[in-house]
Amino acid sequence: MSSFGTRTWNAATLPANDNVNPYAFSVDLDGQWFAQKGKMIAYYGQVRFEALSSGPLDALVARTFNSPLYAQDWIVAQGRGKLLLADRGFDVNSFDLDDGNLTVRAGNLLAFEPGLELKQSIIPGFLTLIGTGRFVAASNGAVHFVEPPIRVDPQALLGWADCPSPCHHYDHSYMRGAFGAARMVFGIGGSSGEEHQFDFTGQGTVLMQSSEAVMNEDVLLRDLEGQIGMVGTSGLQRLQQTISRRLSSERQG
Amino acid sequence: MPGYQKITSKMLQVPVAPGAEVYSRRGAMLAYTGSVAFAPSTTAGQSIGGAIGRAVAGERSAMMHVTGQGEVMFGHAGLHVSVVDLSGGDTLFVEADRLLVHDASLQVGTMFMGEQGGVRGIVRGAVTGQGLFTTTLTGKGSCGLLSHGGVMELPIGPQHPVHVDPQAYVAHRGQVQNRLTTAVGLRELIGRGSGEGFQLELSGSGVVYVQASERKI
Repeated sequence: MSSFGTRTWNAATLPANDNVNPYAFSVDLDGQWFAQKGKMIAYYGQVRFEALSSGPLDALVARTFNSPLYAQDWIVAQGRGKLLLADRGFDVNSFDLDDGNLTVRAGNLLAFEPGLELKQSIIPGFLTLIGTGRFVAASNGAVHFVEPPIRVDPQALLGWADCPSPCHHYDHSYMRGAFGAARMVFGIGGSSGEEHQFDFTGQGTVLMQSSEAVMNEDVLLRDLEGQIGMVGTSGLQRLQQTISRRLSSERQG
Repeated sequence: MPGYQKITSKMLQVPVAPGAEVYSRRGAMLAYTGSVAFAPSTTAGQSIGGAIGRAVAGERSAMMHVTGQGEVMFGHAGLHVSVVDLSGGDTLFVEADRLLVHDASLQVGTMFMGEQGGVRGIVRGAVTGQGLFTTTLTGKGSCGLLSHGGVMELPIGPQHPVHVDPQAYVAHRGQVQNRLTTAVGLRELIGRGSGEGFQLELSGSGVVYVQASERKI
């Protein structure tokens, strides 16, 4: 123990594949792990960090990293040693999947074993892990597990395991009646900010965190870009109009 | 009454039923089960006159009325949540933007700082950036407060007043007089101050809630 009451660690005493404290996780690296850029805070040993685009990793990436949209956010750590992971002072937890599947918010996934296969979820901004292996994820406050049926605020949703069917739920019930119509037409009284939720039904588990105010806008942007391929010519023209209208109003504002 | 239940340090679960509705900060709902509706509310349980008064005072935080039957989880921006139960005997004084959720059975009011501590109170409001008005909650019920890093509950007795950093102050209740004390001396004038030039002195009898940080919401 040091004079500050904190323990001093070294390469031998650091936990192997376990939490150092609620906010940092120590990976016992012997081989390869995928890690998100910027989440590694320290390491011991002979560890090399390689971008996914580098040649020798092609076979590994083709087998387990099934998301070109996020490829530039991720690296592969390979070698032997202890790897410390942390993220914005959030609570960090590791989970084991045994021939299972789990979907998690892209920004909150820190690292995973190559035994797992990574794919983009149909819900934008989320990544799905399939297979057997361990992964490390961060959450704002401790993770809270709930069972469907439940409706979750989009920002409070951390992920879900097994297959509860996620869908959108919109609630505008207060827009009814004479007063509600006035609210809708003139925009008086504002909105409750809770009109939109993710609705989960079916068997499975939903993971929640305390609301996260900061969204990773870069990922959102790339997600939108990735979906542009699904839009036809007329759709693209409409999109262009929307964007130019928005841009001109931003300039006036 | 089933009461508010803390799930984690940053998440609160609140039962809602017909006749046991709550008001909450807009956009602070994390999840819910059952059939619950969220309607924006401009009055937050007050009369129209009270709402206008609050708007004029700048002591207005966008609230919503939560109705229906079910369990609702609340949280905001990763801030810590603490529950305060009011038995009906005393009044809780709190800044509107620190209020996460409160029972609809509680009466919400606005108090002019001058009422508690006179001119000193006004100076205090101006110096701490809390404004000249503060929100009061009276009646029987519970409320959830937001804080950065969690709150400590410090008892105030007639013989031992409590000194609090104005930025760390969250709320207080009971028969409490508050006064801004200054420790401004020659050092402060030449820019060599300790950085603790202003303190809030709370005396009387009651409880003050202090957060473990100097960050505002």
